[in-house]
Amino acid sequence: MSTENSDQTNLSEKKDFLVNSSSLKDVRSFSREVFEKFKINEDLREELVLAIAEAAQNIVKHAYKDYPDTQDRMAVRISCTDKELEISFFDKGKPVEKSKVKHRAIDDVKPGGLGTFFIQEIMDSIKFKEGDKPWINNLVLTKKL
Amino acid sequence: MKFKVTENENISTVFLNGEIDMDIADNVREVIFPLIDAGKEVHLNLKDVQYMDSSGISVLVESNQRAKEKNTKVELKEVSQPVEKVLAMARKFL
Repeated sequence: MSTENSDQTNLSEKKDFLVNSSSLKDVRSFSREVFEKFKINEDLREELVLAIAEAAQNIVKHAYKDYPDTQDRMAVRISCTDKELEISFFDKGKPVEKSKVKHRAIDDVKPGGLGTFFIQEIMDSIKFKEGDKPWINNLVLTKKL
Repeated sequence: MKFKVTENENISTVFLNGEIDMDIADNVREVIFPLIDAGKEVHLNLKDVQYMDSSGISVLVESNQRAKEKNTKVELKEVSQPVEKVLAMARKFL
């Protein structure tokens, strides 16, 4: 885990993980540690952990759908100011087709669709960007504090 | 994930434990689905499940659908607060 800025009003922590479902518990542990360190409201923490874990899960399930044994890594960066939390995800998987990122029909419940719904419910904004090299995808989630 | 199954006549109660995510979901299916396929009524006790994501919710939905196909049912009997919060959010979607 690396701290990019120690200024108390603009905190940032980043860590990378193997793109694999077994990494999801490590993503959650990292997120919980950071939220404890950033003193994020306890009622909000587990919701944010869920949103982060769902986004990481989407990388494993969709960006690397055809590469279950990849050795690639994904990175998660959590940044916090007094007013806003920004969570960025970086991966080198299949580029995201923004038009396909939506939750599914009500009678077709699957993890990807429900996970995206959870992210939309918890976070204030979701933006897909092209990642700066070496990354391909950069998902940015924000939440007002 | 740890689990325990108790039997009482035709009811199997599955006590799940820990965190249920994409990595664990198939293990949970492997516990629940054979009970449903055997025609058991399945009660799920989730009081010791500290975290559940969309993969866990999907297991519950699939279990319910499978039980209907087998003319039996799946019921949630005890649910931890973190899981109840996720279920409440999922109900908006389901």
